[in-house]
Amino acid sequence: MNSDKIAILQRALIREKAARKEAEKILEKKAAELYALTQELSETNTRLEKTIQQKISQLQVFESIVDAYVVVDFNGEVLKMNESAIALLGYDFRKAPIFLLDLVDEKMRERTQNAFSTLIKEGLLKNFQMEIFSKDGQQKIVQINASMLYDENQVPIAAQGIARDITQQQASEDRLISSESRLTTLITNLDSGVLLEDEQRKIVLTNKKFCELFSIPVSPAEMVGLDCSNAAAQTKHFFEDPAGFVKGIDKIIRKRKLVLGETLAFKDGRIFRRDYIPIFKDKEFQGNLWSYKDITLETKYQQSIEAEKQKYSSIIANMKLGLLEVDNDEKIAMLNQSFSEMSGYSEEELIGKTASTLFLEGEQSEVNSKERSKRNQGLFNSYELQVKTKQGESRCWLISGAPNYNLNGKVIGSIGIHLDITEMKTLEVQKEVLLKKLKTRNAELQEYAHIVSHDLKSPLRSINALVNWLKEDNKGVFDTSSLQNFSLIENTLEKMENLISGILNYSSIVENTEKHQQVDLNILLEELKAITYFPAHISLKVTNKLPKISGDPIRLQQLFQNLLNNAIQHIDKEKGLVEVDVVEHLSYYQFSVKDNGIGIEKKYHNKIFKIFQSLNTHNESTGIGLSIVKKIVDLYKGEIWLESEVGVGTTFYFTLIK
Amino acid sequence: MNKKSLNILMIEDDAIEVMKLHRTIASLDKSHAIVEMKNGDEALAYLKSEAPFPDIILLDLNMPKLDGMELLTILKADTELACIPAIVLTTSNNPKDVLSCYQLGIAGYVFKPLSYEDYTLKIKQILSYWSINELTNK
Repeated sequence: MNSDKIAILQRALIREKAARKEAEKILEKKAAELYALTQELSETNTRLEKTIQQKISQLQVFESIVDAYVVVDFNGEVLKMNESAIALLGYDFRKAPIFLLDLVDEKMRERTQNAFSTLIKEGLLKNFQMEIFSKDGQQKIVQINASMLYDENQVPIAAQGIARDITQQQASEDRLISSESRLTTLITNLDSGVLLEDEQRKIVLTNKKFCELFSIPVSPAEMVGLDCSNAAAQTKHFFEDPAGFVKGIDKIIRKRKLVLGETLAFKDGRIFRRDYIPIFKDKEFQGNLWSYKDITLETKYQQSIEAEKQKYSSIIANMKLGLLEVDNDEKIAMLNQSFSEMSGYSEEELIGKTASTLFLEGEQSEVNSKERSKRNQGLFNSYELQVKTKQGESRCWLISGAPNYNLNGKVIGSIGIHLDITEMKTLEVQKEVLLKKLKTRNAELQEYAHIVSHDLKSPLRSINALVNWLKEDNKGVFDTSSLQNFSLIENTLEKMENLISGILNYSSIVENTEKHQQVDLNILLEELKAITYFPAHISLKVTNKLPKISGDPIRLQQLFQNLLNNAIQHIDKEKGLVEVDVVEHLSYYQFSVKDNGIGIEKKYHNKIFKIFQSLNTHNESTGIGLSIVKKIVDLYKGEIWLESEVGVGTTFYFTLIK
Repeated sequence: MNKKSLNILMIEDDAIEVMKLHRTIASLDKSHAIVEMKNGDEALAYLKSEAPFPDIILLDLNMPKLDGMELLTILKADTELACIPAIVLTTSNNPKDVLSCYQLGIAGYVFKPLSYEDYTLKIKQILSYWSINELTNK
């Protein structure tokens, strides 16, 4: 390498050195400038910070906070408070100094003091609840969030806090809790068995009734947390259809849809109603709520009501009485088959029509509307109406109506039972005519019998007189045989006279309750004994005391008289005895008239009561006596019969109603 | 005993009945006068006439035209005629008739028996009773 080159390199090096030194000088100067600038910036920063802090504390935060904002010193004296705080506490620090602790409930003072200490030490207090009394004495629950305020040297100078009035919130929470507990009590004591499962089918809640219904031996509280996944299989033996029960539960759980009012039959005869409610919160499945209710009794009632209803429906449908239900405007609402048959109209032709315009004419409508207004007042009634059927036939209906009420007890129409009494009516009219005719005929017959007997008897008397005169006028002329014939004529006349009297008596026995009175049969027998001819060898004996009987004294006298006469006439013994006796029965008396006469053969027992059937040729016997007896006994609705032994005697028995 | 002779008004439609009375009276020791009337109308006409009033009236109930009951009703409504004793002689023993007659105010009710002998006995006693009675004769 040459010296020139070395010189050149040396000179360049020197130049380079100088340049670097210059650059270092400039750099030094610049660094000093930068330091000064940084220093200035830092000062400005600190100033700014302070200003910001002041601003925050004085203006923005302080004024704009909606919640109560309070700044206190270390003694708890209020330095600043906003309008909300004044409203909350009722005190204003500008008017008088406020110490926060004075506002706190005495019991809470210590706790509050501690919390304040914590705040000073740690610089922060979160969600502290305390009870204070506002100026007007109201207790308020407030939640405090507080922090410490520092000066620029990080020394705490005061505490600032935001207080929120949570009195209302607290009260709602309390209410929620008490309502929850009420609900729990309600569920616990519910008459239905309730089971609440979570989404995992673990029991959340159940009640006593549930345990009772399924004979679970533990308390509802002990059930909480148990897994129900297998419960259906475990309890299926209770049910009449175990497999069906398990299947049903599975299906419900799968579907998670509301199922209400399912009926489950137990093997022991009980019947349950089950409701299933799936529980969702914000569309998210939360669990299952089951409710079981024993409705055995209700079901039984319902079944019997249903059975009754069926029974009456079928009676109504099949009865021979027409049933018609009308509303308040008399529009037909319901009818049965019989009504349709009676009226000639079909059901379709009648429903919705006005009954009266369809069936009634003229004054019958008036009768009907009068009866209807009675029913609207809630009265029951029955009346007859002349109606026109579809065929135009005039029929007579007997209607028995009753107001129809709704569940609120308001009259909504009426229900009428209709009976076609046209035939009955005709018969009734016929009967009345016949009865009237019969009455006239009877009266005529009576009259006739009297006249005939008078007219028949007169000639007899005349013949008797004439025969007598013949005998008198020709005394000593007639021979014995002729005189005997005269005597026979007289006997025959007498017999004829008796016969006529008998017929008259027989025909005049007619029902006449007007003449009924209490008759003492003892007195009646005494009287009869006096007026009846008892031959010397025949005696009358009344064995027991006779009763008093209600009846026509003349008829009763005829009754006994004819029996006594019959007995007397037929006695053939040397010492005759007629015995009258009575036996009392529950509703009637049984009398007997016993004689020791000739007796009557069995084959004649029925014949003797028939008119003109005299079995012997006794002069005084007309054969009417026993017919009269029978007729009177019949008239008094009694019975008559006899027991007899030929040659020994006869006993006639007859009964008279008490 | 001094018995009066009676003026008898006999009202009877049956001829033989009239004969019976005549014959019965004829058989008595005492004679009585008899006026015969066939029915109520005739009798009433007679009583309303100038003829003297009878002492007693014997009347049947069953008669044509005005019958016994109707005649009695008229007689008993008349102050003068009502005083004449009226004795019913009848075949009716209907208790109803007996009652009605006594209510009208008769002086006796005699049932005509079948036998003539019984009849004469009854008539004799009736007449003998009335013949000892004081009567209001016009």
